[in-house]
Amino acid sequence: MKLKQNKPSDEIPTSSMADIAFLLIVYFMVTTTFAATRGLDFALPKDDDTPPIVEKEDSVLVEVNAFGDVLVDQKPTELEDIFDYLKPKLERNPKKPVIIKPDPEAPYGSMVKVFDTLRRIKIKIDGTAVSVREIDMKIIQEAEAELEEGENLESILGKDVNVSIPTQREIESFWY
Amino acid sequence: MRLKRRHESAAVIPTASMADIAFLLIVFFMVTITFEKDKTQVALPKTELRFEVPKEAAYISVTNNGQIRVTNGEHMSTPLDSIDDVVSFAANLVVEFPDRPVVLKADDNVPYRNIDEVIDSLKQAKVELIYLLSEQERVDTPSGG
Repeated sequence: MKLKQNKPSDEIPTSSMADIAFLLIVYFMVTTTFAATRGLDFALPKDDDTPPIVEKEDSVLVEVNAFGDVLVDQKPTELEDIFDYLKPKLERNPKKPVIIKPDPEAPYGSMVKVFDTLRRIKIKIDGTAVSVREIDMKIIQEAEAELEEGENLESILGKDVNVSIPTQREIESFWY
Repeated sequence: MRLKRRHESAAVIPTASMADIAFLLIVFFMVTITFEKDKTQVALPKTELRFEVPKEAAYISVTNNGQIRVTNGEHMSTPLDSIDDVVSFAANLVVEFPDRPVVLKADDNVPYRNIDEVIDSLKQAKVELIYLLSEQERVDTPSGG
């Protein structure tokens, strides 16, 4: 009697390949952390050993105390009110320097908030000062994308406020 | 005459190409991934304005407990022993990569004293542009406005 031979299949079993691959994908997706890639730019003074002399009386002094409260020209001010205070001054003198002077113990975040508030103020070509909001970022991005050679953002959006953040060392060596 | 029952087709979803699809996805993710040079976890401050940070940038991270890590953008970040070492790091950076901006990745609650020293070091080293890394602040827009 002839026995029926059980022929082993000569195929590589690939049915679990998809499971393996999807497990790998899930692993990568779970372990991925998204990098924060956006922030506020801040141009430091150009290579220049003599910083422009700013008369203290000419500038607006924005202080941040140790608790994160904001004082504009020594008066406690809410973040939203800074613009209203600065608007007439900037419309009279668009180059008016604004100095941010955080207390050494002030939290970094509150200084960034003040800087953000000041950076949102733009002085248009006709001299009016406006405060842009988050929604306007779309306009900024579109304008950035459509910039042509030699053009710069300022002509479309208006000029930035002249903000400076002197460091403690500079304050000690130039102010007193 | 009785008709032979119709041959029933098997109710199977073809999964043979699943593996190909999945591996294509993996390859896609591997190609598009960019590795973070600095993996320090910090609670970033929130701002409304945010601008894209250039890909080629040096990073300085300052954590809540005052630890500082730096990278010139070429290697993974390394810890600094003290805040005074930022000057030499920045000076080297300016010599090696003159136009590279420095991204400051500092925790929301760091006392400003530390940031002040870092910025002062960068000014001394003649770094021209820094970025203050931030998260998006959500703005509640008044309805109808």
